Amino acid sequence: MIVGDPQAAEDGDRQTQLLRGALDMCLLALLASEPAHGYELVRRVEETGIGAVGYGTIYPLLTRMRRLGLVADRQQASPTGPPRKVYELTTAGRARLDAWQQQWTRFTGIVDAILSQRESDTTPARS
Amino acid sequence: MDTIDSALAQADRAWRKYGVGGADRAALAADLRCDLRAAEADGFGPAQLLGPDIPAFARRLADEAGVARVPAESGRLIGIALAGAAAGGGIGLALLTTMYPMLIRLADRPRSLGLPVQVAVVAYYGLPALVVVTAAVVAVRVLLPDVPRIRETGRAMAVLLPLAGILVTPLTMAFAWSTGYSTAPQVLIIEIALVVGALTGATALARRWALRERHRLVEAASV
Repeated sequence: MIVGDPQAAEDGDRQTQLLRGALDMCLLALLASEPAHGYELVRRVEETGIGAVGYGTIYPLLTRMRRLGLVADRQQASPTGPPRKVYELTTAGRARLDAWQQQWTRFTGIVDAILSQRESDTTPARS
Repeated sequence: MDTIDSALAQADRAWRKYGVGGADRAALAADLRCDLRAAEADGFGPAQLLGPDIPAFARRLADEAGVARVPAESGRLIGIALAGAAAGGGIGLALLTTMYPMLIRLADRPRSLGLPVQVAVVAYYGLPALVVVTAAVVAVRVLLPDVPRIRETGRAMAVLLPLAGILVTPLTMAFAWSTGYSTAPQVLIIEIALVVGALTGATALARRWALRERHRLVEAASV
């Protein structure tokens, strides 16, 4: 039986949890910079280095954001095959992204402050 | 999973099992097909995109799409319907035992009374059958009050269970006749299996009917 590295597994789980709370915002941000079709968005997410996120995760999220009116899709002709469905941000999506970004900045600022405090508490005082 | 069609067929089965209505299933599948076809033209097959667990993907997609769903709950429904029918069968048997001497007396009456023998036969078999159907319907209505569309399911069962009984009775009798009315255990098991199969099929069909009616109403309301 092959036993994996428990630390690596825990890190992976932690990363997945962190990603879960931020992935929709990241998708909105990526679409804000340029509209994309579903699997192209998968590639873009991978390129950011945020972690491996499959189409099976991104496509349902896009569907939810479309339902909420944050993104809209339009058909785009393709030279290589059938028309593609390209997703782009709506006005509501931009407003939501701005709000989420502010919230995220506040939140990470607080977390950073807590972690910095801990570092300063554990650093031995120089004589 | 070789093709888009087989991937979508798997997804459709998962959606159906998850209680997603026909129109929603069609809309989800059409959207997904469009994306998968475009991806395939760029060299990405459905297996690469959706991964090995298509049912899980399909359920997640249905959740995120916010589609209304009514779980079929067929397993629980059929189990309770059969238990109810079995209890009804016991009561029906007791009724038959009680009724038998009474029917004999009725049949022995002078012909001038004009009681057709068919009436006695219908009463003899019909009353216990009625008890079985009633017990099955009452069981699912009483024991599964939390299941959506259970009232409509009960109504559909009240229609389909007697029909199933009408179909399976001659079939079972023909089988019994073909074995010389043997009471060998394996023969009896087959006869019971025929009846249970008919009840199961009718109950599953009733549930499907009730849900289809519900999805039709939802779709009409959303137009």
